[in-house]
Amino acid sequence: MVFLTLQRSQKFLGSSRQVHKTAAHVVARSAPEETVTSSFASFIHAVRPEHLSKIVRHRSKRMILDSIGVGLVGSTTHVFDIALKYCLELYSSVAVSNVYGKPGMKLSPTLAAFTNGVATHSMDFDDTWHPATHPSGAVLPALLAASQMLPPNSKPNGLDFLLAFNVGLEVQGRLMHFSTEAHNIPKRFHPPSVVGTMGSAAATAKLLSLSMTQCTHALGIAASLAGAPMANAATQAKPLHIGNATRLGFEAALLAARGMEANPFILDDISGCSGFSAFYSIYQPRPLSTPSEHHEFLLEKQDIAFKRFPAHLGMHWVVDAALSVRNLFINYAGSFSPSLIRTIVLKIPVSKYINRPFPNSEHEARHSFQFNACTALLDGEVGLSSFTESSIHRQELRELLHKVVVEHPEDNVANFDKMYGEVAVLLKSGDVLTGKCDTFYGHWRKPLSRESLLKKFRSNASHVLPEEKVETIISMVDNLENLSDSSHLACSL
Amino acid sequence: MWAKTITGNFANVIHGLNKNHLTDMVIHRSKRMILDTFGVGLLGTSTEVCQKVKQYSKIYSSDISSTIWGHFDFRLPPLYAAFVNGVAVHSMDFDDTWHPATHPSGAVLPAVMALSEAFPQKKKISGLDLLLAFNVGIEVQGRLLRFSSEARNIPKRFHPPTVVGTMGSAAACAKLLALNQMKCKNTLAIAASYAGAPLANAATQTKPLHIGNAAKHGLEAACLASQGLQGNNQILDMESGIGAFYTDYNPQTLPNLQSYPWLLDQQDVAIKRFPAHLGTHWVADAASSVRRKLVENSDISLILDKIEKVIVKVPEVKYVNRPSPNSEHEARHSFQFVACSALLDGSMSIQSFASESIHRPALQELLCKTQLVHPSDNKPSFESLYCEVTVVLWDGNAISDRCNTFYGHWRKPLTKQDLEKKFQFNASEVLPAEAIEGIIETVYNLEKVEDCSVLNMFLSGQSARVFPEKLHFTHSNS
Repeated sequence: MVFLTLQRSQKFLGSSRQVHKTAAHVVARSAPEETVTSSFASFIHAVRPEHLSKIVRHRSKRMILDSIGVGLVGSTTHVFDIALKYCLELYSSVAVSNVYGKPGMKLSPTLAAFTNGVATHSMDFDDTWHPATHPSGAVLPALLAASQMLPPNSKPNGLDFLLAFNVGLEVQGRLMHFSTEAHNIPKRFHPPSVVGTMGSAAATAKLLSLSMTQCTHALGIAASLAGAPMANAATQAKPLHIGNATRLGFEAALLAARGMEANPFILDDISGCSGFSAFYSIYQPRPLSTPSEHHEFLLEKQDIAFKRFPAHLGMHWVVDAALSVRNLFINYAGSFSPSLIRTIVLKIPVSKYINRPFPNSEHEARHSFQFNACTALLDGEVGLSSFTESSIHRQELRELLHKVVVEHPEDNVANFDKMYGEVAVLLKSGDVLTGKCDTFYGHWRKPLSRESLLKKFRSNASHVLPEEKVETIISMVDNLENLSDSSHLACSL
Repeated sequence: MWAKTITGNFANVIHGLNKNHLTDMVIHRSKRMILDTFGVGLLGTSTEVCQKVKQYSKIYSSDISSTIWGHFDFRLPPLYAAFVNGVAVHSMDFDDTWHPATHPSGAVLPAVMALSEAFPQKKKISGLDLLLAFNVGIEVQGRLLRFSSEARNIPKRFHPPTVVGTMGSAAACAKLLALNQMKCKNTLAIAASYAGAPLANAATQTKPLHIGNAAKHGLEAACLASQGLQGNNQILDMESGIGAFYTDYNPQTLPNLQSYPWLLDQQDVAIKRFPAHLGTHWVADAASSVRRKLVENSDISLILDKIEKVIVKVPEVKYVNRPSPNSEHEARHSFQFVACSALLDGSMSIQSFASESIHRPALQELLCKTQLVHPSDNKPSFESLYCEVTVVLWDGNAISDRCNTFYGHWRKPLTKQDLEKKFQFNASEVLPAEAIEGIIETVYNLEKVEDCSVLNMFLSGQSARVFPEKLHFTHSNS
């Protein structure tokens, strides 16, 4: 299986300029124990006190002593005071914020935000924007938690909440426009962890009515909490990216509210010393127009894509293409019979982290063009149950996966606005059945209808909430502008 | 309100947007997004990953708590104890520095100390356990720094403690938790997703959070891994892993455990004598000796108006080039400030960065006469940089001196007495004498300490007299 993986991805590895030689060499070796990462893990795990040399003991004890001393004197500083107050207030014995799907349970606000953020991205079922990020999951959990944190006489109303939400989206969108790199499917830093953290900071700063100076510092502090590498995509740790974005942005705003100061030029180009630009190799920041009577929100011009099934957005194109091929097949042969198939060709853009010939976990399966195409062909649909252990490992699916080859046509760019998915099934008889999808249903060019959106919501929410609560949420969100106390929304979860 | 910077402009907009700006379309679309997000979130609560983080988040009840250094009046959950103590350590830029450049101890020690108090009652953490975990945390940082040639110089893009410090803290905590190999790997993977803060917050009040967060996030990563959370098990191998923080990245496997060659063995740290960026320590030594040549023992203020200019030769390091710093944070990151301060006072101290000291007229005057020069042979690396201070008098005379290695640098380490003196001076701000002596004694005998909770007790400021039985050293032959 490893060898086959090699075959399929060799051409891919070789042609990609980004793969470092050492890393490629490491991946090509068949024994996973030999990676750099596992050598570190082995070291950490296996090293013993006996391995400590005298000099090391001596020097490290000096370091420990010095470190304690500077820490003690440091506890008299102003910055320490702020950090301390912040922590004390957060961890008061009354936890105030709700956790999705757990009516009795409450956590401290930032941890509630974290948990709910993880829930939001846990299945890769949440919304996607252009340029690429998952905007809502980075903002909504923080706002919900914050709304419950505020004292009863200053609760934000529904319109305040909606405004803060949109501030969070707008800031994310504007920041992404600072770099042409952001227009394509990411390679280095996972966008929600970069712009999502900033969006959360902006949104909570708005909800908490921070002063202009405090808003500046919230952004500055948030930048120091941003940025997670792509490599954890398609692993169980990916949902943490959204959990942390929403939580850490929230923390940044809370710290700014208590007077913490950061670099007031964090978004600007600072020569010789990177600010937010650290996350991009090309960075061209531009000011936002100051809102007079009319501010054009990006959401006005550029809608969002909602997913119809819980997998990476790119999968949605190949699934729609595969579904149309399956229909053709059924017309042709009466039913879908894998034994008639010689090869399945997928024409997809180049994006390493979603090109997985044989995914082994649900996380990998959600990030695999091959898996999603084959599931669509076999089952006629892709849904929650497509990603269970048994579904992932079933025999007929694995057999079908073996027949897949991928191609990367030059005109298929790794960009959610321009990409397409094409599936061609080559039959043993010599016939070829093809399907192509430019715009899947749910994409911003073909948005989900109200009925489809509600269907998705009801189906999801009913896993953990009774029907009345499900309908209550729908009606509260529908009438959000008229809600007098937006913390009711958080309470209803 | 028109803002001069983009940052200010963003803040303006965030602050200035109001409900009237929301259009129908925007309201409509965003409500759809809110609804969909609720749905996927509710569904997501039943996932394995979510179960794990819920379990993890629930531990922040008031039952489990750790010591805040200098306080016995309250405690905090371990994660935030690590954060707060980490902020304290870096709050004045007084903590140790290594080569390649990072502040290694502050990212690790607060995390392992906080964690050591989070084990169930019966479990004792010995001094040797602590020492080992600490060194694992240091070693991992050093090894990671060697994966990129960029790391050899004073940083420009990401602040190193936030990259390698987070990983070091994670490794140290994984060690203390005695995680198996698989979980150690996942600890590293999860920690990478918390790493990396831009340098621009250096010289601001937020910089100390870089160390606080490194400690806290590393601890969190280890706890999550311990609960079974998984990440990319090739996180150190891939360019899209830790490689994301560097433009050239060359990872290597660690040496064999047989007589393991620790980096700390070959390369010591620098310990600071005053609380400011390491680069300023060369400047202080050079300026102090120029001052001695100028005035022997008399008061320099007598000859201040005889000074035409002060030339300071240093490498080019933009974030420490500040002709006229306004805050303590900026002053700690200013070659010019330290040069003038050392010329005026003869030496640098904690007091040099107090508000009155920063703003005194004599200093401001001298700053106006100060300029930096960047000779091409002066590389921005803590291993090789030098500083030359020249005071030019109106009468044409010029007095110069050069510092290649300041006292406290790894090539000229502080003596045991001076290290202790620094500790005693610092600790005496908040701890009673017995606790101070207790810490010194315990740390010097750390390998023999059976239960390092005694260390936390001293750190909180409680007197040793109260708990004499805690002061128990093993009598082994190690």
